[in-house]
Amino acid sequence: MNAPIHPQMHLHKVELKSKDYKSDATSFWCAGCGHYGVLTGLLRALSEIGVDPNYLVNVSGIGCSSRLPYFVNSYKMHTLHGRAGPVATGVQLARPDLSVVVTGGDGDGFSIGGGHMPHMARKNVNMIYILMDNHVYGLTKGQCSPTSRQVMKTTTTPYGGLEEPLDPVLYMLTYGATYVGQAFAGNVKLASQLIREGMEHKGFAFINLLSQCPSFNDIDTAQTFKEACDLVPDGHDTSDLGAAMNAVNAAKQAGRILTGLLYKTERPTLDQRMAELVDRVGGHKDYDLRKIIDLARP
Amino acid sequence: MPGITKNDLIIRIGGEGGEGVISVGDFITQACAHAGLDVYTFKTFPAEIKGGYAMYQIRTGTGRLYNQGDTFDILCAFNGDAYNMNLASLKPGTAFVYDSPGDFTPDIPPGVFAYPIPMTQTSKEMNNPRAKNMVAMGALSVLFNIPVESLREVLTAKFSRKGEDVVKGNLAALERGRELAKALGKTDPWTLGTPKSKQDVVVMSGNNAIGLGALIAGLDFFAAYPITPATEVAIYVAKHLPKRGGTLIQAEDEIASISQVLGASYAGKKAMTSTSGPGLSLMSEMLGMAFMSELPCVVVDVQRGGPSTGLPTKHEQSDLFLAIHGGHGDCGRIVLSVESIHDCINLTVLAFNLAEKYQCPVLLLSDGSLAFSTQNVPYPNPEDYQVVERKRWNGEGEYHRYVLTEDGISPMVDPGTPGGAHIATGLEHNEIGLPSYTSANHEAMQAKRFRKLKGVVNDVPPTEVDGDGTADFGVIAWGSTIGVVREALQRLRAKGYKVKGFYPKLLNPLPVEQFEAFGATCKRLLLPEVNFQGQLAHFVRAETSLRPESYTICGGMPFTPEMIVNKVREVLA
Repeated sequence: MNAPIHPQMHLHKVELKSKDYKSDATSFWCAGCGHYGVLTGLLRALSEIGVDPNYLVNVSGIGCSSRLPYFVNSYKMHTLHGRAGPVATGVQLARPDLSVVVTGGDGDGFSIGGGHMPHMARKNVNMIYILMDNHVYGLTKGQCSPTSRQVMKTTTTPYGGLEEPLDPVLYMLTYGATYVGQAFAGNVKLASQLIREGMEHKGFAFINLLSQCPSFNDIDTAQTFKEACDLVPDGHDTSDLGAAMNAVNAAKQAGRILTGLLYKTERPTLDQRMAELVDRVGGHKDYDLRKIIDLARP
Repeated sequence: MPGITKNDLIIRIGGEGGEGVISVGDFITQACAHAGLDVYTFKTFPAEIKGGYAMYQIRTGTGRLYNQGDTFDILCAFNGDAYNMNLASLKPGTAFVYDSPGDFTPDIPPGVFAYPIPMTQTSKEMNNPRAKNMVAMGALSVLFNIPVESLREVLTAKFSRKGEDVVKGNLAALERGRELAKALGKTDPWTLGTPKSKQDVVVMSGNNAIGLGALIAGLDFFAAYPITPATEVAIYVAKHLPKRGGTLIQAEDEIASISQVLGASYAGKKAMTSTSGPGLSLMSEMLGMAFMSELPCVVVDVQRGGPSTGLPTKHEQSDLFLAIHGGHGDCGRIVLSVESIHDCINLTVLAFNLAEKYQCPVLLLSDGSLAFSTQNVPYPNPEDYQVVERKRWNGEGEYHRYVLTEDGISPMVDPGTPGGAHIATGLEHNEIGLPSYTSANHEAMQAKRFRKLKGVVNDVPPTEVDGDGTADFGVIAWGSTIGVVREALQRLRAKGYKVKGFYPKLLNPLPVEQFEAFGATCKRLLLPEVNFQGQLAHFVRAETSLRPESYTICGGMPFTPEMIVNKVREVLA
């Protein structure tokens, strides 16, 4: 299963327009939802790269955002709450020639699925994880999420929240993601650029897209997100992990959101290491099973 | 007193972990199998990583062996712990080989044949204190006719990697042990028969055999999380799968391992995971997704004592409820259970074949006693196995992943196939795969998914019936309890009882007609199983007209043949 991997083998090239990647499934999101921006950004990136939809697998968990695969022309899996990451890992490791995209929300990825995030990153699974971060649970109609600001009142925090929100970007930098970017979903140009580069990046790419929920989060609107976003300054060293973390943190302390490519590094991917291991033991599909069975003779 | 040749002997070796108990057990097992004898071993490891009491029991003989037996005929004690732990079982007639002078001075119970052997002292005199166990093994080989040529051969093969000096040192200690035993002279009646001929066999543990079965079936992808007593399945696969071009992945938890397995299955690969009860509990939700989205997968559950963390190293058959009904909603799956090491190979291949054919989860239940037990198995020729691949779309017309068919099976398609793009979803869906919550659709789709399972009974060998005609008593058993029942029924028949056995390996969907046919030939039924609630008895009562009497134990150990014999005699008295 582990044929030697060509650097770009996971991207079979075709020439298609952005709209060709759009399925004809009827939309499910509310008017004004930030997820439309994510979808537009993704479709544009797919078209710009020229990903063959037959070699694209879009995996999601549960939530409003996790419905995104229905709107994409590709192979796709709509799995369980929190489990998109490990399912996608299985797809990618089994078929390193496929292009694997995970799309999901903040609750899906960092609450119920939080235990999986470190491992995709540290293992450097060759795929892109697009977090559609709206700071709220939308599908269940407005409960606090792990990225909800404490001041936000939700149906389960009617008097305001009790907990500090987490910062997905800081976590993924710490966990060892090899490509980390952030953008406001409404900035389709930046979002699609980060998605494109993240998909072309060989390794685990994490893109946090801040996406407004007009129905259940009235403090993080398109306007507030847009106004809070700063682009990384010229001269930001994307190869310096410490600098990336400090810059994200400094922006946060100032009530700002740092966007753009924050960090990028190169490291062998897990499927590469697996293929190397198979090479090392001289393994191949037709290896004579009898040689293994003979080891158990008395 | 001259030795009486016995059809089979049970030798128990006990001592401090790290003293070579396990390696002596392995050598004797290998040598007996090498010479053409049957072997069935049973061992307990100390709970501690280093030190603690370790025990290795070898049952070996010239006839077919189906279980670990009742109790030992011969005890070999390396230290006082081994003596104290087993004193209650030193019954008149047993032979007792022990280290003397050692760290203990035993009171030899009346009727026990004692052989004091200076194991520690001799090995020290030979400047080879690590060869204490070889001295013991030499003595055992003389006293009980353990095939010594085979012993020398396996010993030489094992130590040759460590150099000629190590081989010589161990062989010398073995010979010294033989001389010491010869000098004592034999007083007990136990002597192992001579095998008729050498057999082409392998000797494997249940966990390794499951790993091998998976390789034979064409395993591509294996993800797992460490858990006692299933970890060795993953260890075996980690070692050998790379030779076949795959790699084991150790997941961050059991939820991740089953998730990765389903991802790999969707990607067109044969995928599997192994776990024990607690891990299977965590996988329940994803097994529902596998059934709903019709993804083939094989999940091995090496059962241990429960509930909760329970008794991790102890034997129990208590995950049947979970295996059949674990998870929410009306959820189907195929459940197989293994009796023996031979089954561990064959039924793992079958599990893959059924998963591929029926596009659903297949659970294979093994148990703590089979996990580490080793047995001889006829050499498995890979080409003797039929290997089934999933039905794939032929590329004609428009592809509908969940098209309604007569047998419920809809062709699958691998990613990368033009025209085959589709979604696998845990939501109820229509034939294309898109969410659909209409009552007509849900009913049609549930019927489709369960319709598939109707064919399963025809793809599994018919349930074995042990005995002919009508019987006063029928015993239904599953898992490793079957081997115990086989021997119990032989003994009962020898005493004139009219008894039959019924040994299902397919536990879900239950082969109801086969159960009914068996039940019709027996006046009364007994169902022994190692769990508190009588889990299979529950399903048999629910799904058939049979009303077996439940006989349950849950003390962390398997049944013995004697327990079954006594129970049947008690009920019939």
